[in-house]
Amino acid sequence: MKKIDLHIHTIATICDSDFNFSIDKLKDYVGESDLDAIAITNHNVFDGMQFRFIREALSIQVFPGIEISLNECHILLISDVSNLDEFEAMTAKVTNRIIDPSDSISIEELKSIFGNLEEYLIIPHYRKKPAIHPETLSEIACYVSAGEVDSAKKFIRAVKDDTRLTPVLFSDIRISEDLSQLPTRQTFIDCGELTLAAIKTCLKHNGKICLSEKDGNRLFQIFEDGQMMSTGLNVLLGERSSGKTFTLDRINSRNENVKYIRQFSLVQQDEASYEREFNNDLQKRKSRFADEYLKGFKSVLDDIMNIDLTKNDREVDGYVSTLLKSAEYADRRDAYSKMALFNETAFSISDDQTLKELIGSVRQLIENVDYRSIIERYLDISALKQLACDLIETLWTRSFENKKKRFVNSLLKDVKESLKIRSSAVQVDDVDLYRVSMDAKKVERFKGIVEFIRKEAVISEESVQGFNVVAKKGPFLSVADVKLASGVKTAFKDVMKEYGDPYRYLQALMSNESLPQAELYRLFSKITYQILNRYGFPVSGGERSEFRLLQEIKDAQNFDILLIDEPESSFDNMFLRSDVNEILRDISKSMPVVVVTHNNTVGASIGADYLLYASKNVIDGKIVYRIYSGYPTDKRLHSTDRYSIANHEIMMNSLEAGRDAYEGRRRTYEVVEDR
Amino acid sequence: MPMREGGVRMKLLKTDNKLGYYLGDSGDYVPIDRITKDHLLRLVNLTLANNVEFDAYDEEQIQNQAHQIVYKSVYEKLYNLRERRQEFIDESERLYLQDYEKYRDKSSQQG
Repeated sequence: MKKIDLHIHTIATICDSDFNFSIDKLKDYVGESDLDAIAITNHNVFDGMQFRFIREALSIQVFPGIEISLNECHILLISDVSNLDEFEAMTAKVTNRIIDPSDSISIEELKSIFGNLEEYLIIPHYRKKPAIHPETLSEIACYVSAGEVDSAKKFIRAVKDDTRLTPVLFSDIRISEDLSQLPTRQTFIDCGELTLAAIKTCLKHNGKICLSEKDGNRLFQIFEDGQMMSTGLNVLLGERSSGKTFTLDRINSRNENVKYIRQFSLVQQDEASYEREFNNDLQKRKSRFADEYLKGFKSVLDDIMNIDLTKNDREVDGYVSTLLKSAEYADRRDAYSKMALFNETAFSISDDQTLKELIGSVRQLIENVDYRSIIERYLDISALKQLACDLIETLWTRSFENKKKRFVNSLLKDVKESLKIRSSAVQVDDVDLYRVSMDAKKVERFKGIVEFIRKEAVISEESVQGFNVVAKKGPFLSVADVKLASGVKTAFKDVMKEYGDPYRYLQALMSNESLPQAELYRLFSKITYQILNRYGFPVSGGERSEFRLLQEIKDAQNFDILLIDEPESSFDNMFLRSDVNEILRDISKSMPVVVVTHNNTVGASIGADYLLYASKNVIDGKIVYRIYSGYPTDKRLHSTDRYSIANHEIMMNSLEAGRDAYEGRRRTYEVVEDR
Repeated sequence: MPMREGGVRMKLLKTDNKLGYYLGDSGDYVPIDRITKDHLLRLVNLTLANNVEFDAYDEEQIQNQAHQIVYKSVYEKLYNLRERRQEFIDESERLYLQDYEKYRDKSSQQG
């Protein structure tokens, strides 16, 4: 197995923060990490002189490369070492094109600069920002050998899925003179001689790449000293003050996107603040839920807020009465009232909302990533693009027509007013009857919607590990309820008198200046959000923290690593064994998890994939922290500096158990005992 | 509406016989007391697409007060529109322009 890192920066470009390159640091990195090959890939730049200098200084294979901004994403383009001058001349064209960090070149430009792309190793950012757009990927797919990811979790996920690109994990490090932590992100490749062609061939097969030299994808490197851990469930044991939390902190600081549940973080010392925190959390969840549920209603309300039925009525009245008067005084017509524009009506203007929404929908079909394959099964994306362009052109035409009509309307209004002042005849008031009747319809529909959202019903019921999260809707029954929902201290008594008529209620709310207009949508229906225990009752104090822990662990799915420090310090064994162990085991199937524990319920029953044991020794008057690690069935665990310790001894020392509990587990321990 | 080539300008508003006139559908000049919103829209279209001119509003040239009111207002607005013609046209085409360019480029590349 060869260890490679084909994404290394040695020049600070406009896309990087400033740093000074150090060849010594690069030598340290290559040496300490036992790398077999690297590539120099600066942003849109290749410096031939620096490259030759680096190649001279290192005894491993060094490839020339460049990280190119392509269609708003980044791709690595790596060449062999045969014709550096030519490569430098080509890359200079990229450098000249990228003047601003937001610039990027097109696929056509890429092809015209580099010619036959098959001659290069091309690796786009795949599960890593800025990730390649699916459309760009499909256009260059035949030249792409692998996709870069930024975590072990994403690597494992991609490697298990044949439909995805072969993943590679690289450091993407800036070799700066003040680099303090060496990166641990590299990829092992099952390759003989490390030529560009051989690497490209290996990368075509998922089975030829992995995260560790000997343990495939079961382990990955976590610290620069070579310390490995499982891509699944790790249990970190150790006596008090042996550096367990310190180890978690180190993992946390060396990785991005880590979910870290610290010791006692879910438990407060006094019940009152504990309950307050839980309720705040619940309130946040409720607010998120209500916002999501009422999103549609909010846009309806925004529309209705612009409707003034009273003004509409006045306009219709004005129209009818002036029309009648004008008929009555028809004989009073003078030079002014005889002008054709005197009683001219304005153009009715559409806001083209339907057309705009249609353009939005087509755009969604074109841009959607998640369901792209289904969309493509039925629709041709390039035809959709033409459709989008046609619709946009139609919108331009319509909006141009509307603009002209608006112009004429304003001219008409001016002329009519001037004529009206001078004429003794009655001018017929203008009214847009289409809009007036549309407004009335909208208000009617709005009342129906409000009636629906006020009707009592359960709107969501979710079961979370024995807890039931129930959201209900219903009417506000008292002034106090509405006040609470508004969060504003103001008088609601008069407003509530109109509650029965949603439109009048809205007018009353709008006339209260202390209420923010954008928040009014919360005041029509009462949304309750409760967490009930398995018996259907609101949760107790202890149950609250259990629920929060389970939620936090569930939330970890959005992260790349989950760290939990001593869950037993806050929870009882029954809960740990039945719920926490189960959910941790489950989540570790899709991401690395590290649990620190003293507790045998967690430590021995959880079914760890890998054991880590933190120890603190005083040697020659100095404190030495060391981590031993191995599989749970290994007789001995080993440290990276070649010390070892009996697994059985660790179990006994770290996991305090009562005698009865121990007897129950004795058989498990015998398996690993070093006799 | 085709552009008139050369230096010939289309006159949309004119004063004659102490009255105001606008350019009618069939190319003749119609007294401005008969102008409707549809005629106005037509004049707007002509102003935006052609090289047009108007007789300036002059109280001396129009004696009919009703004509004065309409002529003055229409003249001022159309004159202003002619000056800001490009801005007026561009504004409508700015809608979704980014999407348009993105999709148009890609589809022409593929097509």
